[in-house]
Amino acid sequence: MASTAERIRQLVSENIEVDGKALDVPEDLNLSLSDAGVPSTDIVALGKLIAQDFNVTFTLDDCATFSDLSKVAAFIDSKSA
Amino acid sequence: MEAEALSWLDEQERARARRFIGAGPRRGFALCRAALRALLCDELRCSNEQLAFGASEHGKPFALVQGLPVDINFNVSHSGNHGLIALAPEGRLGVDVEECTPHRNLDTLIETVFTPDEQAELALIEGEERPRAFFRLWTVKEALVKAEGTGLSLDPSLFEVPPAMRRGASSAVFAFPRTPSVRWRVERFDGDDFVAAIAHELDPAI
Repeated sequence: MASTAERIRQLVSENIEVDGKALDVPEDLNLSLSDAGVPSTDIVALGKLIAQDFNVTFTLDDCATFSDLSKVAAFIDSKSA
Repeated sequence: MEAEALSWLDEQERARARRFIGAGPRRGFALCRAALRALLCDELRCSNEQLAFGASEHGKPFALVQGLPVDINFNVSHSGNHGLIALAPEGRLGVDVEECTPHRNLDTLIETVFTPDEQAELALIEGEERPRAFFRLWTVKEALVKAEGTGLSLDPSLFEVPPAMRRGASSAVFAFPRTPSVRWRVERFDGDDFVAAIAHELDPAI
């Protein structure tokens, strides 16, 4: 079974392209999508897809704490612990 | 041209440019930021070296001249080959421009950011017009969220694009449900391959 980080990397690469290429996220998920120049439409859609995939709900306050994808993984893992 | 644009930026902005992953978004950022600097220097009658930027708690940038905040409002957006910059002496501003390309997660986006009524209206539109219809509503919401300046604390699914604009009008006056006394002028403009919107806070005395 894929770890949270692996699944997030997979969802990103399946759903986000930059300059026509799938976005490759580092293994430690230390990447801010907005800093990387990913369009807001892609970030919003990815947030929804991650929430559905892991069966979690992100409140707006939660989203404000997600400075990079590793924070998203930590949030998800804290909910399933 | 990108190298010349980067030479206009300060070290903080160049560091931000380096964090962009794709060459296209990096170029868009550098060109728009340099253009913004040129416009602000002209408007504020200062040199590029005197101009810097700060950011609000929610990340909305503001201009500093010789280290002091100045009274001018601005906002920037870029998407693909398109950039949009707006300046105003008074009233908060937000802009958004989007290239009208098909989006692989369009249905997910629609159910995430639009109200049930907006979703029902978009469900009636099919084919090539659907992405454009989506971006026409999205850009209005994005411009309003950026203008209001509180970022993620403003859920776009909790307010509606003015009905007149959903029926095709290019402009309308809007107020957020939680702050009905603050009114915004919203305008939309389209090109062959992009749509854009600007939201500007109206003077409460008018």
